[in-house]
Amino acid sequence: MQQNIYCSCSRCPFGALVCAVWVGMVCLVFCSRLSGMKAASICGNAQAECHFLSLANLFDRVIQHSARMHGISNDLHSEFELYFLPSKNQVSRVGRNCHTSNILTPNGKENRFPVTDPELTEVIMKLLAAWRDPLWHFHQSVARNHRFNGYGSNKSLEMSDMAHELRKGVQKVVEKMQTLGVISNSVGGLASPEALLAADGSGWRFMKDSDLLYCFRRDSNKIQNYLKILKCRIVPEHGC
Amino acid sequence: MKKAEGVIILWWLLFFTLHAEGTSYSLPGKPTLTNCRSPEKETFTCWWEPGSDGGLPTTYHLYYRKESSDAVHECPDYRTAGKNSCFFNKNDTSIWINYNITVVATNARGSTFSDPVEIDVVYIVKPNPPEKVTANVSWNKSWPSLRVSWDPPQKADTRSGWITLIYELRIKLEGEDKWEEHPAGQQKMYNIYSLQSGGTYLVQVRCRPDHGFWSEWSDSTYFKVPDYFPQERSIWIIIMIFSVFIFLILIWAIHMNSHTLKHHILPPVPGPKIKGFDKQLLKSGKSRDAFSSLVGSDFPPTTTNYEDLLVEYLEVYIPEEQGLMLEEGKDLHDGSLKSKSYTSDSDSGRGSCDSHALLVDKSEEEKEVGQKSNQQGGRTEMDLKRPEESPEENILNYSHANVGSPDVSCEKVKTWPSLFSPLTENSSGPLDQPDSPEMAKQHCLSDSLFPPSPLSSPFAPPGHKEVLGSNYQEYSFGNLHPQTGSHQYLRAHGNMNVANIGHKGVPADLQLPPVRSTEYVEVQKVNNENMVLLYRVSSDVEKGCPGRRHTEEYSRLKGVNNDNGLLLLQRMVSEEEMNICPYEDQESSGLTDSGYTTSTAQKSTAYIPPATQVLDERVAGGYVDTSMFTLPIY
Repeated sequence: MQQNIYCSCSRCPFGALVCAVWVGMVCLVFCSRLSGMKAASICGNAQAECHFLSLANLFDRVIQHSARMHGISNDLHSEFELYFLPSKNQVSRVGRNCHTSNILTPNGKENRFPVTDPELTEVIMKLLAAWRDPLWHFHQSVARNHRFNGYGSNKSLEMSDMAHELRKGVQKVVEKMQTLGVISNSVGGLASPEALLAADGSGWRFMKDSDLLYCFRRDSNKIQNYLKILKCRIVPEHGC
Repeated sequence: MKKAEGVIILWWLLFFTLHAEGTSYSLPGKPTLTNCRSPEKETFTCWWEPGSDGGLPTTYHLYYRKESSDAVHECPDYRTAGKNSCFFNKNDTSIWINYNITVVATNARGSTFSDPVEIDVVYIVKPNPPEKVTANVSWNKSWPSLRVSWDPPQKADTRSGWITLIYELRIKLEGEDKWEEHPAGQQKMYNIYSLQSGGTYLVQVRCRPDHGFWSEWSDSTYFKVPDYFPQERSIWIIIMIFSVFIFLILIWAIHMNSHTLKHHILPPVPGPKIKGFDKQLLKSGKSRDAFSSLVGSDFPPTTTNYEDLLVEYLEVYIPEEQGLMLEEGKDLHDGSLKSKSYTSDSDSGRGSCDSHALLVDKSEEEKEVGQKSNQQGGRTEMDLKRPEESPEENILNYSHANVGSPDVSCEKVKTWPSLFSPLTENSSGPLDQPDSPEMAKQHCLSDSLFPPSPLSSPFAPPGHKEVLGSNYQEYSFGNLHPQTGSHQYLRAHGNMNVANIGHKGVPADLQLPPVRSTEYVEVQKVNNENMVLLYRVSSDVEKGCPGRRHTEEYSRLKGVNNDNGLLLLQRMVSEEEMNICPYEDQESSGLTDSGYTTSTAQKSTAYIPPATQVLDERVAGGYVDTSMFTLPIY
């Protein structure tokens, strides 16, 4: 039997099989192309503007997220002080030492050491990385001890989740900045979780819950502020 | 000796006690730190409240310690912020670091420490109020709107994102107590829409960082909303003026047309249709004129001789070849006098004079009369009013005798010679006009009495009147249709001198004698059965029967047949009459019947056999239905 590739599918059974396979392959190719195109279709042409706009939007979202996280930590801290530290022993606080103190953070507007964008980004990443485990641990502690009411327990969980989400968000922002060329790719390397964890250590395990809350409240404020500074440096035209 | 020592000891005690009471040397009271504030998160200031000074000059010192270090530092600046304050400049200020601040009051007796205060600069930020608050009033479709804009406090660095401020403004009318507050978020301008025009407003703005204290309200900014010209009102004014204008115009129009409006709204009571008394004439005293409307002009006759009235003649012209042609054709019912077809109609409301056959065309002016008579039942009839008219105005009856064309429609005037003289035995013409007693004054014209053409030629001009005498009303017909060539005239002479027409020797060939030889049919009367009694007027010469009048009743005037012959039905012929005047009878008998066509040469004898009875049957009512048949006259 002659194998004629031009024969119609109805006539040649083997040809029908070939046709079906061929059609299926064509469809697969198209579908993949479409899916790929979908991802790129949002900002097809003016990539620069599109990315800048999206970067500003990303920054806004991240900043809002960090603001919310800080609000939760503030609430928890005040509640914690109310329930568990009736006697305000302020002196003891002076000795407090957060586990993230070793991370050099700019403590003023005109810093003692100039902070560039990559450095600032790195600081943010470090902070967020440093708080992932302690927050989770804190939540476990709170849930276990039943010291807080249900409100406190939910808040601690939410706080932990938000810190996690915020870290992911900031990572996306960093990636976008790297694609835009705002910061070099070296930043991402430094912000790898493994490196951060190694630098951090496990000093947080010895902290009390109250200290933990206090430290996290501060650090979340730092994160929020740094993000704002970063945004106003990179995309200053939107609300700075 | 002992006494002296005791006195000295007492004096010493007194002295000490006195001294002890008078002096307040003590440690200074405990100062307290009231608050620490940072306006821009870059510097901060702490204030304290001093305690009692202990009677000694007291100095205050502020010492602080930073978190994570034990070094104690003293306040770098006690003056900038005023008394009992300590100002930390930028170099000394660290954010996110706890400060442990203590104030120490020291006097000669000692020093007193205040309670320490731990602060973190981030949480003590209270910015300055916003600056440059401006209010701009703008108009949006006649509604005022306010745009308030401001600047952040100068020291706060919002551009670098170091500090984020949230604003709030409040507004109130001047003189009121309650403020209206509007949170503005992070934007530096705000729109307000609910404003009163002409009002003076105050607006203030304040701000706070996202975690901090509200600033003080800014200074009040006054602004006045101007009175916008009430465009809305102007439109209403224009509308009102316009409506007033239209209102005035309407009133004027109504006033001008008040009379007609009255007529429309309150129609006047219709006056009597019957012409009654003429008041003016009554007043004038002319009774005769006043009552003139009540009186028919003909009655009582004043000027005419009764004798003359008794005799009315219908002058009939018989053409030579043809018999009397009767014009037909009107359809009475349609009221049109020009209808060609002749239809039989029921004898509704017609007088004895009425008949289709006698319908003749009218001139325009007489159409009215015809229509009047149409109203009366479809006949034109000379009513009593006619005599009022001048002879010229009399209805001219045009018998449109179309000789050869049956389809000719002619204007027809139905006028009846009031008196028809019964046709004598003259067969030729139905128009034997014996003297007939007068009947009514009306004259009916008989179409049937017309012979076509040759006679008509001399009378070609329509409307030609032939004055045959006085006191007659002459009706002349004109054939208005150019088709026909023949004009035939039917002349009815009422009250006339009858010109004798020659007897119906003519009828044999249906030739009408010339005018002078016209036979006249005198209408005797119209009896109840709608029969026209015709009397033939015969010349004395010819008459063999003197004085004898043959009254023959003719049952019907059938009207005008197709050949334009006036069909007269003779109901009966009295044999006696015939016997008496055989000649005449012969003549008279044949007449009535019309069948007078030009073609028929049979009209020599106007003898109508009783067979005419048959005809009677056919004709309904008192009408001579010319359309039905043509009676041969034999």
